[in-house]
Amino acid sequence: MRRTDGELILFWTLPAIAIIWVSAFFLFPGFLHPMSPTMSADQVASFYRDETARIRYSMILFNWFGVGLIPTVILLAMQVRRMAHRTPILSYSLIACAGGPPCLFLIANMFWLLGSFRPERSPELTQLLNDLAWVTFTVLVPYLIAQCLLLALAIYWDHQEQPVFKKWVAHFNLLVAVALAPAAFTALTFNGPLAWDGLLSFWVKNIAIAVWIVVMGVVLGQIILRRRAEEPVVA
Amino acid sequence: MTNLQEDSSTDQVERKPARFVPGQPDMWVFVLFESLLFTGYFSVYLIGRIQNRDLYLQSQADLDLRFGIFNTIALLLSSWAIARCVQASREGMYRDALRDAFLTIGFGVAFLVSKVFEWHNEIRLGNTFTSNEFFQHFFFLTSIHLLHLLIGFIVMGVAVYQLWSPARRSQRLVETCATYWHTVDFLWVLIFALLYVVR
Amino acid sequence: MSTPTGSLTSRLLWNFRHNPKRELWFAWWVMVVFYQLYGVLFFFVTRVQPPASPAWDTPMVVQWFNDRHNGLLAGFGVVFLISGLCAPMNALLAYSMRRMSVSRVFGYSYLIMYSLSAIPGMLVMAIAMTVGAMRPDRDPELIHWLFDFAFLSFSGTMGVFMIGSLVWLVAILIDKNRVFPKWFGYLGLCNALTEVVVAPAWIFQRGVFAWNGAIAWWINMVVFVTYTVCFIVLLRKMIEREDFGTGPLPDLPPKAERSQPDSVGAMQ
Repeated sequence: MRRTDGELILFWTLPAIAIIWVSAFFLFPGFLHPMSPTMSADQVASFYRDETARIRYSMILFNWFGVGLIPTVILLAMQVRRMAHRTPILSYSLIACAGGPPCLFLIANMFWLLGSFRPERSPELTQLLNDLAWVTFTVLVPYLIAQCLLLALAIYWDHQEQPVFKKWVAHFNLLVAVALAPAAFTALTFNGPLAWDGLLSFWVKNIAIAVWIVVMGVVLGQIILRRRAEEPVVA
Repeated sequence: MTNLQEDSSTDQVERKPARFVPGQPDMWVFVLFESLLFTGYFSVYLIGRIQNRDLYLQSQADLDLRFGIFNTIALLLSSWAIARCVQASREGMYRDALRDAFLTIGFGVAFLVSKVFEWHNEIRLGNTFTSNEFFQHFFFLTSIHLLHLLIGFIVMGVAVYQLWSPARRSQRLVETCATYWHTVDFLWVLIFALLYVVR
Repeated sequence: MSTPTGSLTSRLLWNFRHNPKRELWFAWWVMVVFYQLYGVLFFFVTRVQPPASPAWDTPMVVQWFNDRHNGLLAGFGVVFLISGLCAPMNALLAYSMRRMSVSRVFGYSYLIMYSLSAIPGMLVMAIAMTVGAMRPDRDPELIHWLFDFAFLSFSGTMGVFMIGSLVWLVAILIDKNRVFPKWFGYLGLCNALTEVVVAPAWIFQRGVFAWNGAIAWWINMVVFVTYTVCFIVLLRKMIEREDFGTGPLPDLPPKAERSQPDSVGAMQ
């Protein structure tokens, strides 16, 4: 079995993870439509009481597969390692970023699960847990932004005959980084595009992440398949 | 360009023996910094003491001076042992040096055991870390110091390791270890004076 | 390719495109920028440092949040934007261990430990403070809990920094490539010990060992700042000395012989 076979297996987990995540996303009743931060404590409490099952199952699903993207990020870091750089600084940086988003996401996930564990809890406590979950979920962008910027930089600095990634991938990553930036400021307002249910902090951020996964997935897949074809078969 | 570099590195190697500072300057930086740090801790203690003289005096009465004196003597003896060890090592008498190193460790262990007994005693009297301000400082200072002592055992381990085999025996390293150990002793003397004696 | 002369921008651009050590300098500058931002954000914008007191009663805590409402939300918003700057910084330190004669284990261990240190050690505080500030009409007891959560998570996240420091200092002390001076290894011990000294913050609500105490915060800060300044300077020196070899890192030639520090060295 060739080394790249293992990489290919890990790579194909990406579409599987994507499907699971999208399913969980639709299963969670709080994402479509996104819950509003202007909901009162009682409204939040009744939401957790009425939709307990869907909240729990979707979040359990997310919890199982929360770290699903890490192999992909590491595969990306490995491609960076193959670029024409003098030091592994950029691939190290990517590795340093890899654990951050899943960790923060799992914390948010945990708060949602806690909120639904005792729906009969005092509404203020449930609202607190809900706030913690939503804020954590929305502001988990710093590592993603760093990842995009680092990838872009790595690609710009990859001066060789056949660069690992084409230049447009770098531009794309810069765009995604910009798209993710507003979500960091979500707590400043309860209304409008910046609020955690708003256009920028919810839709643009999550769609940007989804598009990034799809695009980087395709690009990565092409590279791995090409490398696999080039590698001689060892018995 | 590379030639220049080679020259400068050989220059350095030749220069080193002429600038022999006992115990190595790097360790002295650490000693200085730690001493400053502990001076800070002592100052905080003294300020607290000035503000709360009666409480501190009363709590100090619960301390057993005998433990303090025993501990001080143990560490002073250990310092004497490590000094002899360094001397023996300088003269190439490595078996004696090793014996002295083990003696140092032995006295250190005596200190450790005694300290544990003392703490046990105080706790039985009802004086714990959270009892009052004086005992906060007492347990903090003695714990931090004990931690330095435990690190000292590791340091002495390095010294013993160096002295053991003729393949190693770096005099500089042994002296560095000795400097560290002396610092542990020095800090204890200050703590002893501050916590036990000054009334 | 001769060394560039001319305006700052043209030199910067040249270095960005051609300097062989640009990745290292990139990481170093990111580190410097990060620490500046960190200082400004935590001390001046959000004003969560120097820390408030755990001894306050609930109304005072609510008042503290109200005084800082906008600063907290905006300041931590910026924190949520830029925390990723930590990654190149940790990468540079891991690289310094790669340059040493020690096993790769050290660099990778350090990288992982410090990557995740930012979450309990900085981001959790940011999240708790944000949630605490965003609803001023929340039950005051809950706000007080968030206050405790934030400060304790920030100061009380000890293990990662302690063990991480120890990993680095052991690497420095056994390193034969002279990447760092030995005194810096010993200073790392002082830094690791600050994490022991801060532990009583989990126990005391007032006094010198509380999370805002003279010993647990003020003296600890002095050590931390000293250590940080030292490693920023030493990392700069390391990059200047870097020869991309695997043997001992050469010392810099004395100042008189050096004309332009980096670009000339880069010509080797």
